[in-house]
Amino acid sequence: MAVQPILKYPHPLLKKMAHHVDALDAAVHTLVQDLLDTMQAGPGSVGVAAPQIGVGLRVCVVDVSNSRHGKDNNHGLLCMVNPEIISRSGLAVMREGCMSVPDYTGDVERATEITVRFLDSRSGQQREVAASGFEAVAIQHEMDHLDGLLFLDRIISVSTGLFRRKQYR
Amino acid sequence: MPHRELTHYAVSVVGADRPGIVAGVTGALFKLGCNIADSSCAMLAGEFAMILIVSHRKPFTKANLIEELKPVCERMAMTLSVRHLPLGEEDRKETAGEICQITVYGADQPGIVYRVTNTLATHQINIMDLQTKLAGTEQEPVYIMLLEAVLPDGLAPEEVERLLNGLKQELQVEISVRTVTPVEL
Repeated sequence: MAVQPILKYPHPLLKKMAHHVDALDAAVHTLVQDLLDTMQAGPGSVGVAAPQIGVGLRVCVVDVSNSRHGKDNNHGLLCMVNPEIISRSGLAVMREGCMSVPDYTGDVERATEITVRFLDSRSGQQREVAASGFEAVAIQHEMDHLDGLLFLDRIISVSTGLFRRKQYR
Repeated sequence: MPHRELTHYAVSVVGADRPGIVAGVTGALFKLGCNIADSSCAMLAGEFAMILIVSHRKPFTKANLIEELKPVCERMAMTLSVRHLPLGEEDRKETAGEICQITVYGADQPGIVYRVTNTLATHQINIMDLQTKLAGTEQEPVYIMLLEAVLPDGLAPEEVERLLNGLKQELQVEISVRTVTPVEL
């Protein structure tokens, strides 16, 4: 259980498809705890995916409850194993930053409402969550990491969509 | 951090659009061993415009750069301008305030850009990006301006909307101000 270093692009693992998790074993529980520790250590971070800490498995954590953008509309801490989006609707642009792409932010268009199905590592049960707003964006961003995608893969234009990052508190 | 071992130049090239402009200019820069630190190209009406910040390890002079670029630009009838950047000027200075996107559109008339940007300048609002387009039809042209600006500390986006409200009435254009809040994921 520890804060792990965040891999930065161009580390090749960030561009690889992560593997399906077959069983909730001790290694997965340790991984989830590492993701939580790492997320909580990142300034203002609301999610981390396993590939970001060097593990090519389909596991990510999201918690927007402490963020001012998501505090009024969230499901608290989500520890997601093998998450899949089963429905999506709406579109909105948000300027996203990512710990794996420091110094820049980019305008990315994402669904505003999603339903995500995943194995909850804490309960060991399959769960479906209907998320909207910032929480939906955060889930989609973390799930992109599981497919080897960065927000850079989704920006529409470098001239109008990529920005030097401001300092976060 | 200023790059003390590098010298930087701002290069701009403008001319009637045709295939091969970018390849011609960047080919000449590559041959010289220049690095393109930043660039932006745009099609403005039928003109193709390139702005580049290029760097080269010292010693390197503006004359070296012009000598190589001039024949390329003359061949394609492009205007060329080169400016040496003093040390430190190549680094973008980050400002602290909130970021806003301001959209202005309405029936075309002279002075839209000036009137809006002058109001922003009066209140120390720094424009980071500005793009305009003439849309609509020849009979009824619609002018569209999209700009991104950083507000000085203490100035709220609602206040910017209020500051531009007078112009909205006067020019009979639509003006909207939207806060852009970067999120950390």
